[in-house]
Amino acid sequence: MSAFKYGVSLYSYTEDLGTVMTLEDAFDHVAGTGSTGIEILGETSIPTYPEPTTQWLDTWFALLDRYHLEPTNMAAWVDTRITIGRNMTVDEGTAQIALDLRLAHRLGFKFLRPKFGVIDGELTPDPIWEPAVERNLDLAHQLGIVILPEIHAPTPIRHPVTDAYIAFIERTGTKNFGLMIDTGIFQDRPLNKWGGGETDEIRKGALSFLNGIKVPVEHLVDVIKYVPFIQAKFHQIDENLHDHHIPWDRIVPMLKKLGYAGYLSSEYEGARDPWLSIEQVRRQHALIRKLETEYDAAHGGTVHA
Amino acid sequence: MLERSHIQSTGFHNIGPVGARTGFELRIRQPNYRSSRLSLIEGVDLVIDGVEYPAEQSRIRVGDRDYSHAEMAGETVARLYVGRFFTVIVPRPGGLAPGIHHVASSIRFRHPYFPPEFQPVFVRDARHATIIIP
Repeated sequence: MSAFKYGVSLYSYTEDLGTVMTLEDAFDHVAGTGSTGIEILGETSIPTYPEPTTQWLDTWFALLDRYHLEPTNMAAWVDTRITIGRNMTVDEGTAQIALDLRLAHRLGFKFLRPKFGVIDGELTPDPIWEPAVERNLDLAHQLGIVILPEIHAPTPIRHPVTDAYIAFIERTGTKNFGLMIDTGIFQDRPLNKWGGGETDEIRKGALSFLNGIKVPVEHLVDVIKYVPFIQAKFHQIDENLHDHHIPWDRIVPMLKKLGYAGYLSSEYEGARDPWLSIEQVRRQHALIRKLETEYDAAHGGTVHA
Repeated sequence: MLERSHIQSTGFHNIGPVGARTGFELRIRQPNYRSSRLSLIEGVDLVIDGVEYPAEQSRIRVGDRDYSHAEMAGETVARLYVGRFFTVIVPRPGGLAPGIHHVASSIRFRHPYFPPEFQPVFVRDARHATIIIP
């Protein structure tokens, strides 16, 4: 029976990193969950992005070795509306993705998530995404990296944005482009607080987003063959191991049923009190591992440690 | 490491010659979760003791370089990194009086991956901070 891989995105420790947590502290917390993978945000985690110093590279590889972690996904951005008055050209978008592919490869990553600027409230990416990615497919192939745009609320699975990504995969036949599912799309209860930077303006204008878009987990069937990596977005898990927003008790069995064997990379996006994220990530791992073990036991499979 | 609040205690001081101060400076921690091209920061507005200091009249220091508001808008390469602060340089003849002030900041961040109606996003902070030397 297939088994999940467990990882953590350093996004989980936003605000702590740089105020009360060092990069090595973060490695310790990630490894302490029993994870095998670490996900970073390139321009966040690398103090001199896009060009790491030799000293930083030495530290990076020493930490990977010491904590027995493998690099999973590197998050990157294609800031299409680069100035107030001007959007990136296809050439500029192509160069940005190429830069991040090379950097990700240098650090040992297998996946690159470029976050494209959008043109509307449905998160339709700027049209440069397609030629900019297509021009990088050969490079991604050479470097052994899969480029993964994320399917992120308020965009559901069954949506023209997702359809366009799948059409691109089918048209090019590429193995170096896929979909990343952000489990925030399954959120089915409202958020009281949004860790990603809530403001009054967003709260007033995006109630549906904060309430959750409630994508049925069954829709994973449509796309799972294009999904090699999942960001396990969550916001709050209480002391009874109960997630207040994300229905893991439905997500985990569906992923198991579909034979998903990739990473679940924690992406905590809740309250940002100092150090709170450390315990929240641990609770999520305990919860998902428990559900995976229960599924395996009920289906006569291997019980994972 | 920096204070958790965006507004930093250290670095809040008057500038210019003693007895003929030209203004004051304030350090603000980069509060976004990712480093930002300077062109994505559309301005930093301050309110000190109820007096507004709009972004267009201030300069921003990142590392060793000062930028005018217009220069920031066009700077697509230099970045404001996570875990670092930037300095708002505000003209005010005479500077600020020594003592405790109420300081509020609002950063206008443009996130290209946000729907256009949420650009910019205002990231705010407010606290007391102290000027020591006239």
